[in-house]
Amino acid sequence: MMTERIKFEDIELDYELPTLTREISQEFISMFGCGSLDFNPIHMDPVWAKDVKLFGFGKTIGHGQLTIALLTQIITNWCYAEGGKLKSLDIKLIWPLFPGDTVVCGGKVVAKHPRKKELSFIDLELYADNQKKKRVAVGKAQVYLP
Amino acid sequence: MVKLSDEARKLIEKYQKTEKQKEFQFDFFVDQSKYEKWEDVVIGTEGFGERTFEVKKEDVDAYVNCTMEENPVFKDEEFAKDTPWGGLIAPPMFITPVVFWIAGTGSGSWIRTPGAINPGQKIEFYEPIRVGDVIKIRSEAYDKYLKRGKRYLTYYSEFTNQRGELVAKWWGTLILPFSKGEEEHKIEGGKK
Repeated sequence: MMTERIKFEDIELDYELPTLTREISQEFISMFGCGSLDFNPIHMDPVWAKDVKLFGFGKTIGHGQLTIALLTQIITNWCYAEGGKLKSLDIKLIWPLFPGDTVVCGGKVVAKHPRKKELSFIDLELYADNQKKKRVAVGKAQVYLP
Repeated sequence: MVKLSDEARKLIEKYQKTEKQKEFQFDFFVDQSKYEKWEDVVIGTEGFGERTFEVKKEDVDAYVNCTMEENPVFKDEEFAKDTPWGGLIAPPMFITPVVFWIAGTGSGSWIRTPGAINPGQKIEFYEPIRVGDVIKIRSEAYDKYLKRGKRYLTYYSEFTNQRGELVAKWWGTLILPFSKGEEEHKIEGGKK
């Protein structure tokens, strides 16, 4: 049995993708560091982060690549089993995620590009907010839809 | 010399499962003095060398788990068979561990610089990555600039698989901290 398809022609402008909420902890950050091989002490070492007070924070920050991974998940959760395929990502990281934060990722369809078979794609605007409703990331993605 | 704290080390050891994770120098302070510095990077030169990333099931699983990925298209072979992918694929951002593995402590090592900050990334995706693939990166120093008192470095990288198919293009940027010598100079300057 094939999974259902999301059709390019059925998607309307301003359609909002289901959001994704994740709690950020030092455990999650350290786990991501291991899985992504990014062991930068600014993410992995609370003792060092307290010492160096980079940008005045004095604590570790989540990987920007983790924020990007979560933003990508809202796309893949929505359409990857349904015939969609990521074409491009352009993410701007505005503010770090800290241990104890909760991040909400979302996005909506802002443009449709009809093309020949299999090459039609949509533009998405993406965002990530922390629990204080501060925007931590914005971005654009392009996604092929059948 | 600065060292990774025991607290950090303990958490890392808890999640170190794969062969690559065990082999990898996870203390980014150790070879710090050898990392390429912003001031030494010449735009247009090639980076990242000849290392490859052989994609094993445990590598994809580690990435899937560490991102709290729930989508069965990346986890469940039976499910993935019935999707247009025809089988399991790695999540698109699996290219992150690929870059860190290939960069290592040699060419491209600037991405390990302690305190480096990620201002955002631009990526184009082509062929998906699957278990069994051997990924290579060809990259070059693309741009470096000063902006609002901060130093940015961008590398352009092309990822290809063992069939020579294009997997991704990545314009990867980091904000690099001023190196130790420069910091000391600045502090001394400030005292006068």
